[in-house]
Amino acid sequence: MRLSEALTIIRQQACLQAPAFDVSLACGFTPLHIRTFLTAHLQLALEAKRIEVHTGLYGDFLGNVQRISSEPAHCGVILMEWPDLDARLGLRNLHGWRERNFTDVIDTVEARLAAVHNIVDSLSGQLPVVVSLPTLALPPLEPTFPTWRFSGFQLQLQHLVTSFAASIAKQTNIKIVNAAWLDHISPPSERFDPGSEILDGFPYSIKHAAVLGELIANLIQSPAPKKALVTDLDNTLWKGILGEIGSAEISWDLDHKSHMHAAYQELLRSLVESGALIGVATKNNPALVEEAFGRPDLILRKEHIFPMEVHWNPKSDSIARILDTWNIGADSVVFVDDSPTELAEVKAAYPALETVQFPKSPQDIYKLLAQLRNLFAKPFITEEDRIRLDSIRGSSTRREQLRTAGVNADKFLEQAQSVLQFFSEGRPPDLRVLELINKTNQFNLNGRRYTETELNQCLGDPYTFVWKVNYADKFGPLGNIAVVLGKNQGKTLVIESWVMSCRAFSRRIEHACLDHLFRKFDVSAIELAFEATERNKPLQDFLAEFFGERPSSRLRLPRDLFYSKCARLFHRVSEEVYG
Amino acid sequence: MDNVESRLVQCFGIIFPELNEKQIRVARKTSVQAWDSVAMVTLINVVEEEFRTQIYLEDVEHLGSFQEILTYIQERGIS
Repeated sequence: MRLSEALTIIRQQACLQAPAFDVSLACGFTPLHIRTFLTAHLQLALEAKRIEVHTGLYGDFLGNVQRISSEPAHCGVILMEWPDLDARLGLRNLHGWRERNFTDVIDTVEARLAAVHNIVDSLSGQLPVVVSLPTLALPPLEPTFPTWRFSGFQLQLQHLVTSFAASIAKQTNIKIVNAAWLDHISPPSERFDPGSEILDGFPYSIKHAAVLGELIANLIQSPAPKKALVTDLDNTLWKGILGEIGSAEISWDLDHKSHMHAAYQELLRSLVESGALIGVATKNNPALVEEAFGRPDLILRKEHIFPMEVHWNPKSDSIARILDTWNIGADSVVFVDDSPTELAEVKAAYPALETVQFPKSPQDIYKLLAQLRNLFAKPFITEEDRIRLDSIRGSSTRREQLRTAGVNADKFLEQAQSVLQFFSEGRPPDLRVLELINKTNQFNLNGRRYTETELNQCLGDPYTFVWKVNYADKFGPLGNIAVVLGKNQGKTLVIESWVMSCRAFSRRIEHACLDHLFRKFDVSAIELAFEATERNKPLQDFLAEFFGERPSSRLRLPRDLFYSKCARLFHRVSEEVYG
Repeated sequence: MDNVESRLVQCFGIIFPELNEKQIRVARKTSVQAWDSVAMVTLINVVEEEFRTQIYLEDVEHLGSFQEILTYIQERGIS
């Protein structure tokens, strides 16, 4: 992003009448362009918010870090460079680069890091904090060491910072900028701007400020992780064309110089274990593919993949069927293929789908692996992630039984032995609750997203309740699939947020949720803070069952109307309170 | 207005959104209230980025108006 683009984004957001998202940025230097880039990137990531980045006093690094806890911020950022830990380690405040000072410098840095550690500890649980360790090199301050030689003094300083980072990283709400990745995207030799440091007190080159600002914004508001990947087989999952050389000759090993395919399989296997769905779209002979997946040395095995589309039709047809089986949007999916033609054909049909070309050369495999890891990176792995593949398979079986047996929906649901459990959330909220609220698009009352801090505030309100809904039936558990957030206002109940995973559609869980709300709170009406979004058509269709048409704004659902139109419910319902 | 001038107007518009095009062309450091030291640094950086050039420190202190910056760019053949 260019500086002018960042400034333009900020100017445009200044007119926004939106709730603020406050970030407390603590650094010891003039925040100048890093503040600009951080604000702009966060604005792009959080379109419905007005970003406010608060900064402190020049030169008062510790005071600024301390200030994070006293400001009403949604997130803290600690951005440190060496002079913030001891002014003698910078260009601007010269206090003598003399060897006799070095022991004292080490002591000062250690004491400062300990002070920051204490503050970070006190912030634990209050709000998420992003920490960036020194990104700039130490100045050439040692008389006996040229810049290409490490000294014990430098290594001691680095050791102190690394130990500090390793210690604070144990806290779940602390996110640390990965220095190795930063080296990759912002070459160390291009980061420092001595002119700007001396004249303006801002040490970063614009390019480095742009990269670091984006990285910190990504750590504050991670891009939504992709949910699923569709892979080609020939010259992608393995080397060789199956139809030409047969299953015995396809390879993914060092001996055949095809190890890059093994690395790709390893990554896909790891994605499966973190809850991502893997499907196959290949133009191939089904019998041959079956034979190939019989090979015991495959890392990504048949049981890790569902579904497999093996035929000679266009790949976009395969993608259509796979998306239907998974019941997720194209924008949550990545398609990997070695053929630019196939990628283009799929992209034309599904512009929102991310297409990635499998590299021809092993030199590019690391780039692909890093790209996929970043696209799928999740902050945590839940029980739902572990059971997702089985539940998708179960749903598919269920749909197939419904379709082939011609059973009517009532009969089928009656026999499904479904169990719904409602759990009242306490503080801090379950991470799955945050994930559902912030990832669900289709069955989402209004598209409103909540930060951990905002949800914590809701949970602190005695009139607000947050329910997590768990579902299981004879086809297997779906896990925690819905969240209801509402306020009990006497005769009327107001539902502010309501989301349900698309995996849980067609089970009348949404009907059962409303039924449970009416019974539990004994109210005459439920007010739904509905807002139409581009993606929440399934929820609009559900509400249309009661109102006769898709709603356009906030609405009130009277108890009588609900029960006069509600389909028959067969769930066994229980409620557990905790928190 | 030539291409260089219109691009410079755009740069000024980013830093001083409250000024219209006419006001930008006569803008001076002494007459624009928002033209403080931070705005000056940011303006120079945006101009450097737009024209892919580096403006040296000793030159910056002589660039106190739109016209002076425009002349600086034109005289150096920057496009």
